[in-house]
Amino acid sequence: MSEISGNKEKEPKQQFPVSRRGFLRTGAAVAAMGVMGAIAAPSKMANATVSTLGYEAAGKGKWSKLKPKMSYGGASVSFVEHNDQWLGTSKLLGPVQRTDEQDGGFCLAIRGILGEKAKYGYFQQASRYPMASAFLNPTGAISGPEMVDGPVSPEKLPIPDPEQMSQHIKDLAYYLRADEVGIGKMPSYAYYASTMAPPQGAYAAGAVPPDAPISKAPVTGNLPNVIVVAVEQHLETYLATTGYDGISNSQSFRCYHATANISVIMAQYIRNLGYNARAQHFGNYEAVMGPCLIAAGMGELTRTGDCVAHPRFGFRTKVAAVTTDLPLAPDKPIDFGMLDFCRVCKKCADECPSKAITFDVDPVEHNGYLRWNTDAKICTTFRASNEEGVNCGRCIKVCPWNSKEDSWFHEAGIWIGSKGQGAAKFLKGIDDMFGYGTEIVEDYKWWLEWPELYKIKMPS
Amino acid sequence: MSIFLIFLAGILFLAGVLFIKPRAKQDKTWKTVIIWTLYVIFFVVACMGVSFVYINASVGHVKATSTAIFLFGGISLVLAVVLARVLGFIGTKKKAESLKA
Repeated sequence: MSEISGNKEKEPKQQFPVSRRGFLRTGAAVAAMGVMGAIAAPSKMANATVSTLGYEAAGKGKWSKLKPKMSYGGASVSFVEHNDQWLGTSKLLGPVQRTDEQDGGFCLAIRGILGEKAKYGYFQQASRYPMASAFLNPTGAISGPEMVDGPVSPEKLPIPDPEQMSQHIKDLAYYLRADEVGIGKMPSYAYYASTMAPPQGAYAAGAVPPDAPISKAPVTGNLPNVIVVAVEQHLETYLATTGYDGISNSQSFRCYHATANISVIMAQYIRNLGYNARAQHFGNYEAVMGPCLIAAGMGELTRTGDCVAHPRFGFRTKVAAVTTDLPLAPDKPIDFGMLDFCRVCKKCADECPSKAITFDVDPVEHNGYLRWNTDAKICTTFRASNEEGVNCGRCIKVCPWNSKEDSWFHEAGIWIGSKGQGAAKFLKGIDDMFGYGTEIVEDYKWWLEWPELYKIKMPS
Repeated sequence: MSIFLIFLAGILFLAGVLFIKPRAKQDKTWKTVIIWTLYVIFFVVACMGVSFVYINASVGHVKATSTAIFLFGGISLVLAVVLARVLGFIGTKKKAESLKA
Protein backbone atom coordinates (compact mmCIF):
# COMPACT_ATOMS: atom_id res chain seq x y z
CA MET A 1 0.00 0.00 0.00
CA SER A 2 2.72 2.37 1.04
CA GLU A 3 4.71 1.30 -1.99
CA ILE A 4 1.87 2.22 -4.27
CA SER A 5 1.38 5.55 -2.63
CA GLY A 6 5.13 6.04 -2.85
CA ASN A 7 4.97 5.42 -6.60
CA LYS A 8 2.24 7.95 -6.91
CA GLU A 9 4.26 10.52 -5.17
CA LYS A 10 7.13 9.87 -7.56
CA GLU A 11 4.90 10.52 -10.63
CA PRO A 12 5.45 13.90 -12.23
CA LYS A 13 2.54 16.31 -11.75
CA GLN A 14 0.18 16.41 -14.75
CA GLN A 15 0.25 19.69 -16.56
CA PHE A 16 -2.41 21.18 -18.88
CA PRO A 17 -0.53 23.43 -21.16
CA VAL A 18 -2.93 25.90 -22.84
CA SER A 19 -1.75 27.87 -25.79
CA ARG A 20 -3.15 31.31 -26.50
CA ARG A 21 -4.84 30.04 -29.67
CA GLY A 22 -6.41 27.09 -27.81
CA PHE A 23 -7.65 29.43 -25.10
CA LEU A 24 -9.30 31.70 -27.68
CA ARG A 25 -10.90 28.74 -29.48
CA THR A 26 -12.36 27.42 -26.24
CA GLY A 27 -13.66 30.89 -25.41
CA ALA A 28 -15.35 31.22 -28.83
CA ALA A 29 -16.98 27.78 -28.47
CA VAL A 30 -18.32 28.61 -25.02
CA ALA A 31 -19.69 31.94 -26.29
CA ALA A 32 -21.43 30.20 -29.23
CA MET A 33 -23.01 27.67 -26.88
CA GLY A 34 -24.19 30.52 -24.69
CA VAL A 35 -25.84 32.30 -27.65
CA MET A 36 -27.54 29.08 -28.79
CA GLY A 37 -28.78 28.46 -25.29
CA ALA A 38 -30.21 31.96 -25.11
CA ILE A 39 -32.04 31.49 -28.45
CA ALA A 40 -33.53 28.18 -27.31
CA ALA A 41 -34.49 29.54 -23.90
CA PRO A 42 -37.94 31.11 -24.70
CA SER A 43 -39.46 27.84 -25.93
CA LYS A 44 -38.02 25.92 -23.01
CA MET A 45 -39.40 28.52 -20.63
CA ALA A 46 -42.78 28.25 -22.32
CA ASN A 47 -42.64 24.49 -21.91
CA ALA A 48 -41.73 24.91 -18.29
CA THR A 49 -44.82 27.01 -17.56
CA VAL A 50 -47.13 24.10 -18.32
CA SER A 51 -44.74 21.39 -17.21
CA THR A 52 -46.98 20.70 -14.25
CA LEU A 53 -49.52 19.33 -16.73
CA GLY A 54 -47.03 16.79 -18.03
CA TYR A 55 -47.12 18.29 -21.49
CA GLU A 56 -44.24 19.10 -23.77
CA ALA A 57 -45.00 20.60 -27.18
CA ALA A 58 -43.80 19.05 -30.43
CA GLY A 59 -41.49 21.98 -31.09
CA LYS A 60 -41.68 25.24 -32.97
CA GLY A 61 -43.07 25.00 -36.47
CA LYS A 62 -44.46 21.48 -36.05
CA TRP A 63 -48.11 20.89 -36.96
CA SER A 64 -48.86 18.79 -33.88
CA LYS A 65 -47.40 15.94 -31.87
CA LEU A 66 -49.47 13.19 -33.44
CA LYS A 67 -48.94 14.64 -36.91
CA PRO A 68 -45.74 16.70 -36.96
CA LYS A 69 -46.19 17.57 -40.64
CA MET A 70 -49.49 18.43 -42.29
CA SER A 71 -50.19 16.23 -45.33
CA TYR A 72 -51.44 18.05 -48.42
CA GLY A 73 -51.50 14.84 -50.46
CA GLY A 74 -48.93 15.79 -53.08
CA ALA A 75 -50.34 19.23 -53.87
CA SER A 76 -47.96 22.11 -54.28
CA VAL A 77 -49.13 24.43 -51.49
CA SER A 78 -48.17 27.99 -50.65
CA PHE A 79 -49.46 30.16 -47.82
CA VAL A 80 -51.42 33.33 -48.54
CA GLU A 81 -52.98 36.22 -46.71
CA HIS A 82 -56.10 36.79 -44.70
CA ASN A 83 -56.82 40.52 -44.70
CA ASP A 84 -59.55 42.96 -45.75
CA GLN A 85 -58.87 42.33 -49.46
CA TRP A 86 -58.26 38.62 -49.54
CA LEU A 87 -59.48 35.60 -47.68
CA GLY A 88 -56.92 33.11 -48.92
CA THR A 89 -57.29 33.03 -52.69
CA SER A 90 -60.80 34.51 -52.58
CA LYS A 91 -60.80 38.15 -53.62
CA LEU A 92 -62.92 40.42 -51.43
CA LEU A 93 -64.37 43.29 -53.45
CA GLY A 94 -66.10 45.10 -50.64
CA PRO A 95 -67.67 44.46 -47.29
CA VAL A 96 -69.05 40.94 -47.15
CA GLN A 97 -72.48 41.00 -45.56
CA ARG A 98 -73.44 38.48 -42.93
CA THR A 99 -76.21 36.29 -44.28
CA ASP A 100 -79.38 34.94 -42.74
CA GLU A 101 -79.45 31.18 -42.35
CA GLN A 102 -83.01 31.05 -43.64
CA ASP A 103 -81.78 32.28 -47.06
CA GLY A 104 -79.58 29.18 -47.47
CA GLY A 105 -80.55 26.43 -49.93
CA PHE A 106 -82.37 23.90 -47.76
CA CYS A 107 -83.95 26.64 -45.65
CA LEU A 108 -85.53 27.96 -48.84
CA ALA A 109 -86.94 24.47 -49.40
CA ILE A 110 -88.27 24.37 -45.83
CA ARG A 111 -89.95 27.74 -46.35
CA GLY A 112 -91.69 26.42 -49.46
CA ILE A 113 -89.94 28.87 -51.81
CA LEU A 114 -88.60 26.03 -54.00
CA GLY A 115 -91.99 24.37 -54.43
CA GLU A 116 -94.10 21.85 -52.58
CA LYS A 117 -92.18 18.80 -53.78
CA ALA A 118 -88.85 20.18 -52.58
CA LYS A 119 -90.45 21.21 -49.29
CA TYR A 120 -91.92 17.81 -48.48
CA GLY A 121 -88.92 16.04 -49.97
CA TYR A 122 -86.73 17.83 -47.44
CA PHE A 123 -89.07 17.09 -44.52
CA GLN A 124 -89.09 13.41 -45.46
CA GLN A 125 -85.32 13.09 -45.97
CA ALA A 126 -84.88 11.02 -42.85
CA SER A 127 -87.94 8.85 -43.29
CA ARG A 128 -87.16 8.13 -46.95
CA TYR A 129 -84.01 6.17 -46.09
CA PRO A 130 -83.70 4.10 -42.90
CA MET A 131 -80.04 4.92 -42.36
CA ALA A 132 -80.63 8.66 -42.64
CA SER A 133 -82.86 8.82 -39.59
CA ALA A 134 -80.44 6.51 -37.79
CA PHE A 135 -77.79 9.21 -38.18
CA LEU A 136 -80.06 12.19 -37.65
CA ASN A 137 -81.53 11.11 -34.33
CA PRO A 138 -78.20 11.01 -32.44
CA THR A 139 -77.09 14.20 -34.21
CA GLY A 140 -80.29 15.86 -33.03
CA ALA A 141 -79.51 14.79 -29.46
CA ILE A 142 -76.33 16.89 -29.47
CA SER A 143 -77.77 19.88 -31.30
CA GLY A 144 -79.52 21.70 -28.48
CA PRO A 145 -78.17 25.03 -27.19
CA GLU A 146 -77.06 23.37 -23.95
CA MET A 147 -74.88 20.96 -25.99
CA VAL A 148 -73.16 23.44 -28.29
CA ASP A 149 -72.57 26.09 -25.64
CA GLY A 150 -72.56 26.35 -21.87
CA PRO A 151 -71.01 27.84 -18.77
CA VAL A 152 -67.26 28.34 -18.66
CA SER A 153 -65.16 26.96 -15.82
CA PRO A 154 -64.14 29.73 -13.42
CA GLU A 155 -60.64 28.27 -13.14
CA LYS A 156 -58.69 29.45 -16.17
CA LEU A 157 -55.67 27.54 -17.49
CA PRO A 158 -52.80 29.99 -18.09
CA ILE A 159 -51.63 29.72 -21.70
CA PRO A 160 -48.26 31.40 -22.22
CA ASP A 161 -47.67 29.94 -25.68
CA PRO A 162 -50.64 29.92 -28.12
CA GLU A 163 -48.66 27.85 -30.66
CA GLN A 164 -48.22 25.14 -28.07
CA MET A 165 -51.95 25.20 -27.30
CA SER A 166 -52.72 25.02 -31.04
CA GLN A 167 -50.67 21.85 -31.32
CA HIS A 168 -52.52 20.41 -28.35
CA ILE A 169 -55.95 21.26 -29.81
CA LYS A 170 -55.01 19.75 -33.18
CA ASP A 171 -53.95 16.56 -31.42
CA LEU A 172 -57.26 16.57 -29.57
CA ALA A 173 -59.05 16.75 -32.92
CA TYR A 174 -57.11 13.76 -34.29
CA TYR A 175 -57.72 11.92 -31.02
CA LEU A 176 -61.45 12.53 -31.52
CA ARG A 177 -61.10 10.95 -34.99
CA ALA A 178 -61.06 14.05 -37.17
CA ASP A 179 -59.41 13.40 -40.53
CA GLU A 180 -58.08 16.94 -40.63
CA VAL A 181 -58.09 20.08 -38.53
CA GLY A 182 -57.08 23.68 -38.93
CA ILE A 183 -57.14 26.84 -36.86
CA GLY A 184 -57.96 30.28 -38.21
CA LYS A 185 -58.77 33.84 -37.33
CA MET A 186 -62.57 33.89 -37.39
CA PRO A 187 -63.75 36.20 -40.20
CA SER A 188 -66.52 38.40 -38.77
CA TYR A 189 -68.69 37.82 -41.87
CA ALA A 190 -68.53 34.05 -41.34
CA TYR A 191 -71.10 34.45 -38.56
CA TYR A 192 -74.70 34.40 -39.69
CA ALA A 193 -76.65 37.62 -39.17
CA SER A 194 -79.41 35.39 -37.88
CA THR A 195 -80.11 31.70 -37.56
CA MET A 196 -83.36 30.01 -38.38
CA ALA A 197 -85.52 28.96 -35.49
CA PRO A 198 -86.28 26.07 -35.35
CA PRO A 199 -82.95 25.01 -36.97
CA GLN A 200 -83.03 23.27 -40.36
CA GLY A 201 -81.67 20.05 -38.86
CA ALA A 202 -84.78 19.80 -36.68
CA TYR A 203 -86.97 19.78 -39.80
CA ALA A 204 -84.78 17.16 -41.50
CA ALA A 205 -85.00 14.94 -38.42
CA GLY A 206 -88.76 15.40 -38.26
CA ALA A 207 -88.36 16.84 -34.74
CA VAL A 208 -90.71 19.71 -35.57
CA PRO A 209 -93.88 19.65 -37.68
CA PRO A 210 -93.59 20.94 -41.26
CA ASP A 211 -95.90 23.84 -40.52
CA ALA A 212 -93.94 25.03 -37.45
CA PRO A 213 -93.59 28.81 -37.60
CA ILE A 214 -90.13 30.01 -38.67
CA SER A 215 -88.44 32.97 -37.07
CA LYS A 216 -85.03 34.61 -37.10
CA ALA A 217 -82.75 34.41 -34.07
CA PRO A 218 -80.05 37.11 -34.18
CA VAL A 219 -76.47 35.87 -33.85
CA THR A 220 -74.43 37.68 -31.24
CA GLY A 221 -71.38 35.40 -31.16
CA ASN A 222 -68.11 37.15 -31.87
CA LEU A 223 -65.30 34.87 -30.74
CA PRO A 224 -61.94 35.58 -32.43
CA ASN A 225 -60.65 32.10 -33.29
CA VAL A 226 -62.12 29.17 -35.15
CA ILE A 227 -61.04 25.53 -35.04
CA VAL A 228 -62.34 23.59 -38.02
CA VAL A 229 -62.52 19.79 -38.10
CA ALA A 230 -63.20 17.71 -41.20
CA VAL A 231 -64.23 14.10 -41.60
CA GLU A 232 -63.89 12.39 -44.97
CA GLN A 233 -66.96 11.01 -46.68
CA HIS A 234 -66.40 7.32 -47.40
CA LEU A 235 -64.34 6.89 -50.56
CA GLU A 236 -65.28 3.34 -51.51
CA THR A 237 -68.95 4.18 -51.07
CA TYR A 238 -68.55 7.13 -53.42
CA LEU A 239 -66.81 4.85 -55.93
CA ALA A 240 -69.89 2.61 -55.90
CA THR A 241 -72.66 5.20 -55.93
CA THR A 242 -74.09 7.33 -58.71
CA GLY A 243 -74.00 10.18 -56.22
CA TYR A 244 -77.79 10.50 -56.12
CA ASP A 245 -79.03 7.09 -55.01
CA GLY A 246 -80.14 5.84 -51.60
CA ILE A 247 -76.84 6.27 -49.77
CA SER A 248 -76.31 9.86 -50.84
CA ASN A 249 -77.66 11.71 -47.83
CA SER A 250 -76.27 9.10 -45.42
CA GLN A 251 -72.81 9.90 -46.79
CA SER A 252 -73.35 13.47 -45.57
CA PHE A 253 -75.13 12.59 -42.34
CA ARG A 254 -72.41 10.14 -41.30
CA CYS A 255 -69.84 12.94 -41.41
CA TYR A 256 -72.21 15.53 -39.92
CA HIS A 257 -72.70 13.21 -36.98
CA ALA A 258 -68.96 12.55 -36.61
CA THR A 259 -67.97 16.21 -36.83
CA ALA A 260 -70.81 17.24 -34.52
CA ASN A 261 -69.51 14.83 -31.88
CA ILE A 262 -65.98 16.17 -32.22
CA SER A 263 -67.03 19.82 -32.06
CA VAL A 264 -69.30 19.36 -29.05
CA ILE A 265 -66.65 17.49 -27.06
CA MET A 266 -63.92 19.94 -28.07
CA ALA A 267 -66.03 22.98 -27.15
CA GLN A 268 -66.88 21.50 -23.76
CA TYR A 269 -63.19 20.70 -23.15
CA ILE A 270 -62.21 24.29 -23.93
CA ARG A 271 -64.90 25.62 -21.61
CA ASN A 272 -63.54 23.29 -18.93
CA LEU A 273 -60.15 24.97 -19.43
CA GLY A 274 -61.80 28.31 -18.61
CA TYR A 275 -62.36 29.81 -22.08
CA ASN A 276 -65.46 30.52 -24.15
CA ALA A 277 -66.19 28.01 -26.88
CA ARG A 278 -69.21 27.25 -29.02
CA ALA A 279 -69.61 24.19 -31.25
CA GLN A 280 -70.81 24.97 -34.77
CA HIS A 281 -72.22 21.86 -36.41
CA PHE A 282 -74.89 20.72 -38.83
CA GLY A 283 -77.52 20.50 -36.12
CA ASN A 284 -76.86 24.01 -34.83
CA TYR A 285 -74.74 26.36 -36.90
CA GLU A 286 -74.22 30.00 -36.04
CA ALA A 287 -71.61 30.38 -38.75
CA VAL A 288 -71.07 29.59 -42.42
CA MET A 289 -68.34 26.98 -42.76
CA GLY A 290 -66.83 28.07 -46.10
CA PRO A 291 -64.95 31.16 -44.87
CA CYS A 292 -63.98 29.35 -41.66
CA LEU A 293 -62.36 26.60 -43.72
CA ILE A 294 -60.43 29.05 -45.88
CA ALA A 295 -59.31 31.08 -42.85
CA ALA A 296 -58.09 27.91 -41.16
CA GLY A 297 -55.93 26.90 -44.13
CA MET A 298 -58.22 24.00 -45.00
CA GLY A 299 -58.80 24.78 -48.66
CA GLU A 300 -59.94 27.04 -51.46
CA LEU A 301 -63.30 27.84 -53.04
CA THR A 302 -64.33 25.66 -55.98
CA ARG A 303 -66.61 25.88 -59.00
CA THR A 304 -69.43 24.42 -56.87
CA GLY A 305 -70.16 27.78 -55.25
CA ASP A 306 -69.25 27.92 -51.58
CA CYS A 307 -67.82 24.40 -51.32
CA VAL A 308 -64.21 24.50 -50.16
CA ALA A 309 -61.77 21.84 -51.36
CA HIS A 310 -58.88 20.54 -49.30
CA PRO A 311 -55.72 19.60 -51.24
CA ARG A 312 -55.87 16.03 -49.97
CA PHE A 313 -59.61 15.20 -49.91
CA GLY A 314 -61.10 17.75 -52.30
CA PHE A 315 -64.53 18.65 -50.93
CA ARG A 316 -65.40 15.03 -50.10
CA THR A 317 -65.70 16.04 -46.44
CA LYS A 318 -68.17 17.46 -43.98
CA VAL A 319 -67.00 19.90 -41.40
CA ALA A 320 -67.86 21.39 -38.06
CA ALA A 321 -66.12 24.11 -36.10
CA VAL A 322 -65.53 25.47 -32.64
CA THR A 323 -65.45 29.24 -32.24
CA THR A 324 -63.46 30.25 -29.20
CA ASP A 325 -61.40 32.88 -27.40
CA LEU A 326 -58.82 30.27 -26.35
CA PRO A 327 -55.40 31.79 -27.20
CA LEU A 328 -54.32 30.00 -30.37
CA ALA A 329 -51.83 30.59 -33.17
CA PRO A 330 -53.91 30.68 -36.38
CA ASP A 331 -52.77 28.80 -39.49
CA LYS A 332 -52.50 30.70 -42.73
CA PRO A 333 -54.89 30.23 -45.66
CA ILE A 334 -53.46 28.12 -48.48
CA ASP A 335 -53.15 28.31 -52.26
CA PHE A 336 -52.80 25.06 -54.17
CA GLY A 337 -54.06 26.19 -57.57
CA MET A 338 -57.70 25.17 -57.12
CA LEU A 339 -59.01 28.29 -58.85
CA ASP A 340 -56.89 27.59 -61.93
CA PHE A 341 -57.96 23.97 -61.85
CA CYS A 342 -61.69 24.74 -61.57
CA ARG A 343 -61.36 27.33 -64.33
CA VAL A 344 -60.49 24.62 -66.87
CA CYS A 345 -61.93 21.36 -65.48
CA LYS A 346 -65.74 21.87 -65.33
CA LYS A 347 -66.29 18.13 -64.79
CA CYS A 348 -68.77 18.85 -61.97
CA ALA A 349 -70.74 21.16 -64.27
CA ASP A 350 -70.79 18.53 -67.04
CA GLU A 351 -71.93 15.79 -64.69
CA CYS A 352 -74.39 17.72 -62.48
CA PRO A 353 -77.79 16.02 -62.94
CA SER A 354 -79.63 19.29 -62.31
CA LYS A 355 -77.24 21.48 -64.35
CA ALA A 356 -76.99 23.85 -61.41
CA ILE A 357 -73.23 24.34 -61.67
CA THR A 358 -72.06 27.19 -63.83
CA PHE A 359 -69.79 26.86 -66.90
CA ASP A 360 -68.47 30.43 -66.44
CA VAL A 361 -64.72 30.63 -66.94
CA ASP A 362 -64.08 33.12 -64.16
CA PRO A 363 -65.63 33.65 -60.73
CA VAL A 364 -68.09 36.53 -60.47
CA GLU A 365 -69.03 38.92 -57.68
CA HIS A 366 -71.37 37.61 -55.04
CA ASN A 367 -72.03 39.38 -51.75
CA GLY A 368 -68.76 41.30 -51.85
CA TYR A 369 -66.45 38.48 -52.94
CA LEU A 370 -65.59 36.50 -56.06
CA ARG A 371 -66.95 32.99 -56.52
CA TRP A 372 -68.51 30.78 -59.17
CA ASN A 373 -72.23 31.27 -58.94
CA THR A 374 -73.73 27.84 -58.68
CA ASP A 375 -77.49 28.14 -58.73
CA ALA A 376 -78.27 27.06 -55.18
CA LYS A 377 -82.00 27.05 -55.86
CA ILE A 378 -81.75 24.59 -58.77
CA CYS A 379 -79.27 22.46 -56.82
CA THR A 380 -81.44 22.35 -53.70
CA THR A 381 -84.63 21.73 -55.62
CA PHE A 382 -83.05 18.68 -57.25
CA ARG A 383 -81.54 17.40 -54.01
CA ALA A 384 -84.74 17.77 -52.04
CA SER A 385 -87.01 16.44 -54.81
CA ASN A 386 -84.83 13.58 -56.05
CA GLU A 387 -86.83 10.34 -56.12
CA GLU A 388 -84.09 8.13 -57.66
CA GLY A 389 -82.55 8.20 -54.22
CA VAL A 390 -82.33 10.74 -51.42
CA ASN A 391 -80.37 13.93 -51.98
CA CYS A 392 -77.35 14.22 -54.28
CA GLY A 393 -73.55 14.41 -54.16
CA ARG A 394 -72.70 13.83 -57.81
CA CYS A 395 -70.24 16.77 -57.90
CA ILE A 396 -68.37 15.26 -54.96
CA LYS A 397 -68.16 11.90 -56.71
CA VAL A 398 -66.82 13.17 -60.02
CA CYS A 399 -64.39 15.92 -58.93
CA PRO A 400 -60.82 14.83 -59.84
CA TRP A 401 -59.59 16.07 -56.46
CA ASN A 402 -62.14 14.00 -54.53
CA SER A 403 -62.33 10.56 -56.00
CA LYS A 404 -58.95 9.01 -55.35
CA GLU A 405 -57.38 6.45 -53.07
CA ASP A 406 -53.87 7.04 -51.69
CA SER A 407 -51.26 6.16 -54.28
CA TRP A 408 -48.08 7.59 -55.75
CA PHE A 409 -49.68 8.37 -59.10
CA HIS A 410 -52.62 10.23 -57.61
CA GLU A 411 -50.17 12.25 -55.54
CA ALA A 412 -48.24 12.95 -58.72
CA GLY A 413 -51.50 13.89 -60.46
CA ILE A 414 -52.47 16.28 -57.68
CA TRP A 415 -49.02 17.84 -57.87
CA ILE A 416 -49.46 18.34 -61.62
CA GLY A 417 -52.99 19.69 -61.12
CA SER A 418 -51.81 22.32 -58.68
CA LYS A 419 -49.34 23.81 -61.19
CA GLY A 420 -51.57 26.15 -63.18
CA GLN A 421 -54.15 25.98 -65.96
CA GLY A 422 -52.05 24.12 -68.55
CA ALA A 423 -51.17 21.42 -66.06
CA ALA A 424 -54.78 21.32 -64.85
CA LYS A 425 -56.01 20.71 -68.40
CA PHE A 426 -53.50 17.88 -68.71
CA LEU A 427 -54.64 16.31 -65.43
CA LYS A 428 -58.30 16.62 -66.41
CA GLY A 429 -57.49 14.84 -69.71
CA ILE A 430 -55.75 12.00 -67.88
CA ASP A 431 -58.59 11.77 -65.35
CA ASP A 432 -61.12 11.38 -68.16
CA MET A 433 -58.91 8.93 -70.06
CA PHE A 434 -58.68 6.61 -67.06
CA GLY A 435 -62.40 6.96 -66.31
CA TYR A 436 -61.96 8.24 -62.75
CA GLY A 437 -64.93 9.86 -61.07
CA THR A 438 -67.67 8.70 -63.40
CA GLU A 439 -67.15 4.95 -63.04
CA ILE A 440 -69.24 2.85 -60.66
CA VAL A 441 -67.30 0.15 -58.83
CA GLU A 442 -70.03 -2.38 -58.06
CA ASP A 443 -67.76 -4.39 -55.72
CA TYR A 444 -68.16 -1.70 -53.06
CA LYS A 445 -71.96 -1.43 -53.24
CA TRP A 446 -72.63 -2.59 -49.72
CA TRP A 447 -75.80 -0.65 -48.82
CA LEU A 448 -79.46 -1.46 -49.45
CA GLU A 449 -81.60 0.35 -51.99
CA TRP A 450 -85.32 0.72 -51.23
CA PRO A 451 -86.78 2.66 -54.18
CA GLU A 452 -90.36 2.44 -52.90
CA LEU A 453 -89.35 4.62 -49.96
CA TYR A 454 -87.78 7.32 -52.13
CA LYS A 455 -91.15 8.57 -53.39
CA ILE A 456 -92.13 11.84 -51.78
CA LYS A 457 -95.54 11.75 -50.14
CA MET A 458 -97.40 14.96 -50.86
CA PRO A 459 -100.13 15.99 -48.40
CA SER A 460 -103.58 15.41 -49.83
CA MET B 1 -46.43 -7.02 -50.71
CA SER B 2 -45.11 -3.64 -51.85
CA ILE B 3 -41.75 -4.34 -50.19
CA PHE B 4 -41.53 -7.65 -52.04
CA LEU B 5 -42.39 -5.93 -55.34
CA ILE B 6 -39.73 -3.27 -54.79
CA PHE B 7 -37.21 -6.01 -54.00
CA LEU B 8 -38.27 -7.89 -57.14
CA ALA B 9 -37.93 -4.73 -59.22
CA GLY B 10 -34.39 -4.23 -57.91
CA ILE B 11 -33.42 -7.82 -58.71
CA LEU B 12 -34.91 -7.58 -62.21
CA PHE B 13 -33.12 -4.30 -62.84
CA LEU B 14 -29.77 -5.87 -61.93
CA ALA B 15 -30.55 -8.99 -63.98
CA GLY B 16 -31.32 -6.76 -66.94
CA VAL B 17 -28.06 -4.89 -66.50
CA LEU B 18 -26.10 -8.16 -66.47
CA PHE B 19 -28.05 -9.45 -69.46
CA ILE B 20 -27.41 -6.49 -71.77
CA LYS B 21 -23.97 -5.51 -70.52
CA PRO B 22 -22.02 -7.81 -72.92
CA ARG B 23 -23.75 -6.21 -75.92
CA ALA B 24 -24.13 -2.64 -74.63
CA LYS B 25 -20.61 -1.47 -75.39
CA GLN B 26 -20.65 0.23 -78.80
CA ASP B 27 -18.01 1.77 -81.05
CA LYS B 28 -19.27 5.27 -80.21
CA THR B 29 -19.79 6.48 -76.66
CA TRP B 30 -23.08 8.23 -77.48
CA LYS B 31 -24.51 4.94 -78.74
CA THR B 32 -23.61 3.25 -75.47
CA VAL B 33 -25.21 6.11 -73.54
CA ILE B 34 -28.38 5.85 -75.65
CA ILE B 35 -28.63 2.11 -75.00
CA TRP B 36 -28.34 2.52 -71.25
CA THR B 37 -30.76 5.48 -71.28
CA LEU B 38 -33.26 3.43 -73.28
CA TYR B 39 -32.89 0.57 -70.83
CA VAL B 40 -33.51 2.82 -67.80
CA ILE B 41 -36.54 4.47 -69.46
CA PHE B 42 -37.92 1.07 -70.46
CA PHE B 43 -37.47 -0.23 -66.94
CA VAL B 44 -39.02 2.82 -65.25
CA VAL B 45 -42.04 2.79 -67.59
CA ALA B 46 -42.51 -0.96 -67.09
CA CYS B 47 -42.33 -0.65 -63.30
CA MET B 48 -44.67 2.34 -63.25
CA GLY B 49 -47.07 0.38 -65.41
CA VAL B 50 -47.01 -2.68 -63.18
CA SER B 51 -47.52 -0.53 -60.08
CA PHE B 52 -50.29 1.52 -61.71
CA VAL B 53 -52.12 -1.56 -62.97
CA TYR B 54 -51.70 -3.37 -59.64
CA ILE B 55 -53.08 -0.50 -57.54
CA ASN B 56 -55.95 0.34 -59.89
CA ALA B 57 -56.93 -3.31 -60.25
CA SER B 58 -56.90 -3.80 -56.48
CA VAL B 59 -59.15 -0.74 -55.96
CA GLY B 60 -61.44 -1.75 -58.82
CA HIS B 61 -60.88 1.02 -61.38
CA VAL B 62 -61.68 -1.13 -64.42
CA LYS B 63 -61.20 1.49 -67.12
CA ALA B 64 -57.99 2.80 -65.55
CA THR B 65 -56.62 -0.74 -65.34
CA SER B 66 -57.37 -1.66 -68.95
CA THR B 67 -56.20 1.71 -70.29
CA ALA B 68 -52.98 1.46 -68.30
CA ILE B 69 -52.29 -2.05 -69.61
CA PHE B 70 -52.48 -0.74 -73.18
CA LEU B 71 -50.66 2.53 -72.45
CA PHE B 72 -47.78 1.38 -70.28
CA GLY B 73 -47.66 -2.06 -71.89
CA GLY B 74 -47.55 -0.51 -75.36
CA ILE B 75 -44.79 1.96 -74.51
CA SER B 76 -42.78 -0.73 -72.76
CA LEU B 77 -43.16 -3.09 -75.70
CA VAL B 78 -42.03 -0.48 -78.24
CA LEU B 79 -39.03 0.43 -76.10
CA ALA B 80 -38.18 -3.24 -75.58
CA VAL B 81 -38.29 -3.96 -79.31
CA VAL B 82 -36.12 -0.92 -80.09
CA LEU B 83 -33.65 -1.93 -77.39
CA ALA B 84 -33.56 -5.56 -78.56
CA ARG B 85 -32.97 -4.46 -82.13
CA VAL B 86 -30.17 -2.08 -81.17
CA LEU B 87 -28.54 -4.73 -79.01
CA GLY B 88 -28.82 -7.27 -81.78
CA PHE B 89 -31.17 -9.70 -80.09
CA ILE B 90 -33.57 -9.48 -83.05
CA GLY B 91 -33.08 -8.73 -86.75
CA THR B 92 -29.40 -9.70 -86.93
CA LYS B 93 -29.95 -12.89 -88.98
CA LYS B 94 -31.52 -10.96 -91.84
CA LYS B 95 -28.65 -8.47 -91.77
CA ALA B 96 -26.07 -11.23 -91.84
CA GLU B 97 -27.84 -12.91 -94.77
CA SER B 98 -27.99 -9.70 -96.75
CA LEU B 99 -24.27 -9.14 -96.13
CA LYS B 100 -23.51 -12.71 -97.38
CA ALA B 101 -25.48 -12.07 -100.56
